[in-house]
Amino acid sequence: MKEKPNLSDIHQGDSLPTIVKHPTQQKINLYAEASGDYNPIHIDEAFAAKTPLGGTIAHGMLILAYASEMMTQAFGQSWFEGGKLSIRFKAPVRPQDAITTSGKVDSIEEKDGIPLVNCSLECRNQNGDVVISGGAVVKLQ
Amino acid sequence: MKEKEQSSPLSFKQLAVGFEFPPTSYELTDPVIAKYLEAVGEETDLLTSGIVPPLAIAACAMTALSQSFTVPPGSIHASQELEFLKIVPIGTNVSCGGKIAQKLERGSLNLVILEINVTNQAGEKVLTGKATIAAPN
Repeated sequence: MKEKPNLSDIHQGDSLPTIVKHPTQQKINLYAEASGDYNPIHIDEAFAAKTPLGGTIAHGMLILAYASEMMTQAFGQSWFEGGKLSIRFKAPVRPQDAITTSGKVDSIEEKDGIPLVNCSLECRNQNGDVVISGGAVVKLQ
Repeated sequence: MKEKEQSSPLSFKQLAVGFEFPPTSYELTDPVIAKYLEAVGEETDLLTSGIVPPLAIAACAMTALSQSFTVPPGSIHASQELEFLKIVPIGTNVSCGGKIAQKLERGSLNLVILEINVTNQAGEKVLTGKATIAAPN
């Protein structure tokens, strides 16, 4: 993992590292154990089949973790102490989905003498449907 | 992992602006974080760096708050804001809390905005955020 990027290495329009993940039911079950979120909509296939969703879905925060991993790969420790995320959950993610997370640097500005890198990001499923969209800001200290 | 005396959860309608959730403590140990990293398929070298992924902390906070109330069928986690303030080393005890910041009606939906905050064992804020839950009328 990179320590902290140099501002000179970051430019408006730069693409962030693209990440592809497969949130299988096994991963979803493991996430439930790790997070303590045992909502049956995520882990009980019989329960979920009877809901309007028709089947289990991944935790939204599990999918959001993919966006955070992208930001970690791009900005290293600067993401952990100076990162901000603002997103909307747009569509549910099913266990059989493949999720591609991508983003780009929209602008670089300075606030109180500290460079801020403004990024947009999204997660899409294999059909191209957006499941998460929003932005992230990284403070480069 | 979790230390909390659980009282009966409130219904969505009972949630009042200003209601403060009782704080919940989590010990972010190696095995817990390893399980989290396996679940999210994290491919950065976080575990060897000894740092807790910020979304792992956020997940604990959201779970802690969501266990204090029930939501009607069809409710969704509509949006999320997070700010990461300090690096959290693996092994840290964090305390997750929050409050109801706002309640709104938008068309056929009732929206509740939760403010979340997480502190380390020194009482320093490590994460803050807002989550919007949308429930059908």
